Amino acid sequence: MSLQIVNARLLDPSTDLDAPGAILIEEGRIKDIREGAEATFTGVKTTLDAGGLCLAPGLIDMRVKTGEPGDEQKETLETASRAALSGGITSFVVMPDTRPVIDDVALVQFIAERARETSKARIYPAGGLTVGLTGEAMAELGLMADAGAILFTNGDIPIANAQVMKRAMAYAASRGAIVMSRPDERALTGSGVMNAGAFAARAGLSGIPADAEWIGAMRDVTLAEQTGCTLILDQVSTARTLEIATAARKRGAKVYTTAAAHSLFFNERDVGDYLTYCKVNPPFRDETTRQGLIAALKAGEIDAVVSAHDPQPPEEKRLPFGEAAFGAAGLETVLSALLNLHHDGPLTLLEAIAPVTLGPATILGLPQGRLAKDAPADMILFNPGKPWLCEREDLLSRSTNSPFDGRRLQGRVMQTFVGGERVFKR
Amino acid sequence: MAPRRPDYTFTHEHLLGIEGLHPLDIAHILDLADSYAEKTRGGIRPDPVLTGKTVVNLFFENSTRTMSSFEIAARRLGADVVSMPVANSSVKKGETLIDTAMTLNAMKPDALVVRHSASGGAKLLSRKVDCAVINAGDGTHEHPTQALLDLLTIRRVKGRIEGLKVVICGDIAHSRVARSTTMALHLMGARVHLCGPRTLIPPGTDTWGAESAGTDFDAVLKGADVVMMLRLQLERMNGSFLPSRREYFRYFGLTAERLALAKPNATVMHPGPMNRGVEIESKIADGPSSVITQQVEMGVAVREAVLHLLAGGKS
Repeated sequence: MSLQIVNARLLDPSTDLDAPGAILIEEGRIKDIREGAEATFTGVKTTLDAGGLCLAPGLIDMRVKTGEPGDEQKETLETASRAALSGGITSFVVMPDTRPVIDDVALVQFIAERARETSKARIYPAGGLTVGLTGEAMAELGLMADAGAILFTNGDIPIANAQVMKRAMAYAASRGAIVMSRPDERALTGSGVMNAGAFAARAGLSGIPADAEWIGAMRDVTLAEQTGCTLILDQVSTARTLEIATAARKRGAKVYTTAAAHSLFFNERDVGDYLTYCKVNPPFRDETTRQGLIAALKAGEIDAVVSAHDPQPPEEKRLPFGEAAFGAAGLETVLSALLNLHHDGPLTLLEAIAPVTLGPATILGLPQGRLAKDAPADMILFNPGKPWLCEREDLLSRSTNSPFDGRRLQGRVMQTFVGGERVFKR
Repeated sequence: MAPRRPDYTFTHEHLLGIEGLHPLDIAHILDLADSYAEKTRGGIRPDPVLTGKTVVNLFFENSTRTMSSFEIAARRLGADVVSMPVANSSVKKGETLIDTAMTLNAMKPDALVVRHSASGGAKLLSRKVDCAVINAGDGTHEHPTQALLDLLTIRRVKGRIEGLKVVICGDIAHSRVARSTTMALHLMGARVHLCGPRTLIPPGTDTWGAESAGTDFDAVLKGADVVMMLRLQLERMNGSFLPSRREYFRYFGLTAERLALAKPNATVMHPGPMNRGVEIESKIADGPSSVITQQVEMGVAVREAVLHLLAGGKS
């Protein structure tokens, strides 16, 4: 069983490859890569002509929420998988803040099994950092890691008690486990619902100040340094937070950073007349801050971009802004959001896809996310310039709370492969 | 009521805030309201322009004063009025704002007067119903009829709005009155200065049209034509936003000595209900400079005008 894809524009951030060529797939893995517009392999059973489309590694998304278990009306692993594949995401990490919380071995195994049974994307469970995510007692990090939990996080609400956080990180470090933390000093975030500032004040909405993120980040990188724990600062929303991470890294701390794709696309003004689809945490910041984040991405200070997919049904969003749930559906728009920074921004195509391929693969130690010999044949064929209108009704996610609803976007996934098998075709 | 400019017509479907209004709109509402105020004072019954119309008062927050004011205004113009203090009805049982709005909308009212604790509540409602929506206060966002009644009161007392120096003092951050009144005064050419404890001054008040926002009440009072005191919610006084009631009164309470810093004929206003001895001394509240009861009177007149314009009275 072999497949070759010819006449493709090969894109691989791991080798800085951006050239026409062909790729050979055998037994679910990449067997060989050849550059050249006319390149082909001989003796291959199936040949697919890419027609000049971009062939890139499948996207890896480090932050996805589904409603399984407990809130299947929002999203299941299966519906998330289908949405992900149509958005070019072939691997993703699911957050532990479900009902019940994924905080013990049996639940980690449950997620892994359900994923295998129902989903074609590769799904990696994240474990809860504390029992019930209450921020009090450390969960069984070692046992969960052995059972396949790829990282540990306390979800949207970070551990408030620095001592609990420090011990959890020290313990995680001793087991070689990765901790992902949303930098957020909750006392400052308070009841905030959008970016703090003049716009929020005028709208009469309480603000989420950036200093809440800075203080949270300073605490967490300090603890990462002290404990030797590998830390991912989750969904950084300002360049100053990245400076905090970079400074710690220079001192030898193992700190990585991510940003949500939507925060690279929208600013606080998009909240407009109380549009609850634009209610996310961290909030869309002001335009200067968004530009700062884009510049940081260009400079390589953001290691990975995530969808921060957080499905919410209409009953959670058709409410006054202050009462609506946080969260945006994002699986199907990550690639377009990043390509926007190529078409209308400073990124090369390789720079646009690196934070969703090589970046997360490196952090998580995964073999996919690159076009390399023997790597799993998780790939996408995409048309970088194809225009499309994002409409809620067309999204595959069970919840369609997308801030991109009604937006004209550029760049579309045409085919998606996982382990050499075509799992999506547009 | 003929408009000031022959080519002007009031075209708004809703009154969701001062934001979005043109100075001509405000002048038109004030002129109409003024004529209603005069009729009431003269004991003349206004034309029943809202006969056959239904006005629903939908108050998700308790406010006897504002709800009564709207109710009286609507009845004076001949409308049928249903007042629903929803704070203690089915909405508490999990029915959402939108569900309630859809239910009421199906009963075909001509105007919905809504007060809601969430900023943007009135706007959300207006997207879902077919009738006019009048915002009677949404969270900490806007309270347009309060602003209009403040302007009408000032215009009647001072004879004009343009060029006046107005100082608004108190909890600016959580006040929908401060937002609406500042914007309206600015649109009509007044110079608005905001004042309060640092913890209760939000950023970006210049975008509302305020000339300054500071913490020195005494300094800003100099040359003031109008001093408007805001109600300080008791929960802000417990040490979270400011140290104590007495410290607040020391720096921001309106006393006779302090009022003497303003112009000799300065007018004192308060949107009510007052905390006597917290933001304002009783002697001032009840004194000759105070127009607080006139504000209540003008409230009815302004609401008559707004209902007239929005609920279908097209004369």
